Amino acid sequence: MDFHIERAKILPKSNLWGFLEGLKGVAPLIAPVERGNKTVFSEVNDISDVTINYTRTVLPPKKFLVPYRRVRFTYSTGELSFSSNFKARDQIIFGIHSCDLHGISILDSVYLKESPDPRYLEVRKKTVLIGISCMPDDYCFCLSTGTAFPDGANWDLFLTDIGADYFVSIGSPKGDELIIELKELFRDIEREDLELYKRSTRKKKEAFRDKKLPDLERISQLIELEYESPVWDEEAKRCLSCGTCTNVCPTCFCYTSVDVPDFEGKTVKRVEFTTSCQYPYYSLVAGGHYFKPTRTARFRHRYYHKLVGYPYQIEKLGCVGCGRCSAECPAKISMVETLIKLRGADEKESGKATEQTSAGRSL
Amino acid sequence: MKKSLEKLLNKPLPVDPFKPQRAVITDVEELAPDHKKFTFAFLDESLAKVWDYIPGQFVMLTVPKAGEIPISICSSPTRKGFFELTVRKVGRKTKVLHRLKPGDVVAVRGPYGNGFPVGIMEGHNVLIIAGGLGMAPLRSLVWYILDRRSRFKEVYLLYGTRNYEFVLYKEELRRLKEREDIKCLFCLDRVETPEDREWADIEGLLTELIPQVKLEPSETYVAVCGPPVAYKFIGKELLKNGYPESQIFVSLERKMECGIGKCGHCQIGYKFACVDGPIFPLWDTKNLPEML
Repeated sequence: MDFHIERAKILPKSNLWGFLEGLKGVAPLIAPVERGNKTVFSEVNDISDVTINYTRTVLPPKKFLVPYRRVRFTYSTGELSFSSNFKARDQIIFGIHSCDLHGISILDSVYLKESPDPRYLEVRKKTVLIGISCMPDDYCFCLSTGTAFPDGANWDLFLTDIGADYFVSIGSPKGDELIIELKELFRDIEREDLELYKRSTRKKKEAFRDKKLPDLERISQLIELEYESPVWDEEAKRCLSCGTCTNVCPTCFCYTSVDVPDFEGKTVKRVEFTTSCQYPYYSLVAGGHYFKPTRTARFRHRYYHKLVGYPYQIEKLGCVGCGRCSAECPAKISMVETLIKLRGADEKESGKATEQTSAGRSL
Repeated sequence: MKKSLEKLLNKPLPVDPFKPQRAVITDVEELAPDHKKFTFAFLDESLAKVWDYIPGQFVMLTVPKAGEIPISICSSPTRKGFFELTVRKVGRKTKVLHRLKPGDVVAVRGPYGNGFPVGIMEGHNVLIIAGGLGMAPLRSLVWYILDRRSRFKEVYLLYGTRNYEFVLYKEELRRLKEREDIKCLFCLDRVETPEDREWADIEGLLTELIPQVKLEPSETYVAVCGPPVAYKFIGKELLKNGYPESQIFVSLERKMECGIGKCGHCQIGYKFACVDGPIFPLWDTKNLPEML
């Protein structure tokens, strides 16, 4: 998106806490806070808990849009009338990194493009998303997935660190309303601010220079061509099928729905909870057949869905390069490494990757 | 922000697609061991009158206290006011369903899925190939075609199952066999009893019936439903007999929780069985990994 000067403001860093306090006055505020040595998104009562310079949270902010466990309906077994006391509340999520904003845009497409889910839409309409710029660590690969900057995602305000100030981009009328509400905290943009803004973009790109990044050129085709590659087996051997990767993923949406009756059998709750394609029973059907019986099949399915499935279904890659699946994996399986290995098998590139997969299927 | 994304959020709240409608069981018929056909009518009469679907589509049926299951509709949309589901007792939820009796109330949402391309099939021959319980969704197609018979050319029904005991819709199919406007060929895996002998045209597999079909392949649409293992062999035999790949449609099932492309379980390759299927052209079975 091109920034018209009217579509952006400057927030001096000294006003940040005032800004957060102001936000909290508008609606419940959700922001990154420290828990132990990790960072999580949590509702904040005291704004001094908010951490600004964090790398990644354990769970993405999607938990405030689609809770990991939610009751869809309650019904009585007698007359079988379905009811729900669901009510979306206003909320502001502050401090979302660009990758997670893109993750939310992907969820928007999943939930709202066809057969829209009214609950998600209601929550989404009442949520204000405020992003913040960040610097990558060794797990990040958002530069490859095209999600390093908030362009093309759905958000309301985005704060870019330009030194002494934040360059605040306004992405929606909702965002503009907040600026108007708290206008005494902001100042207008000057030429130098624009220069600083451009420089910050360059700085983030440069931070990736020494990092290992996967080549995502024609990635859908690569996954399809390497569908039988031994790399899948090699990597899946280490996999514990624990489902951590999908649970921390900002774009994963699979859920299971079960009817839970109360003790008297009079009312039943229809509970939906997040599941993982890495669990064996994910594909288990009545009669005992597993459509994805092996760990390799399930392991590969995650990559296939992210890199082939999403592009077909919502015309975007299903990976935003946030690095959570690699950072949290107890078996230290890395998405980047797997993709580099696969690419090696495909293109016979020089280096270690090729040696490891020299038995790869020839095409 | 992109236009496509902006549009997504600027919509009014839709009707909850997850909310099912109540329906009463009006009839239960035992078709074969562990196979029952249930007839339902929506309690909301105005809904019952207008509720429409395409052969091959399915509904999400709430079995009270047990949960939701996806079941193909086995009645034809040309008969209004009721609908039928044939269910095999195979798991926890279907076991509870099999205990229900006429007068019991369930909840239903749908119809879901793409269904057979009946509009495109019009004006052509139709070859229907059913294996075992695959007869259920194809029964919908058979009656759809027979109720609009003049719109279609020649129609064949091939039906194979284990033995006579497991034949579904016995009386109905017997009467179909006597009709002039549909040619029925039946096979059984094992022909042992006198009833088996009386029923079966041949002892053997569906693939052996395909060469007996006297249709111009290029003018024919083929609808196949049965156990997925059979598709490979049936597909091969159909191609050998000259049926164009683009005119062969198969029905596939997967685990489903939502029916509208939200829960993710029914993915076959990059497609969702619930919204992109459950009816797929044969080409997809080659194109999508782990399809069969």
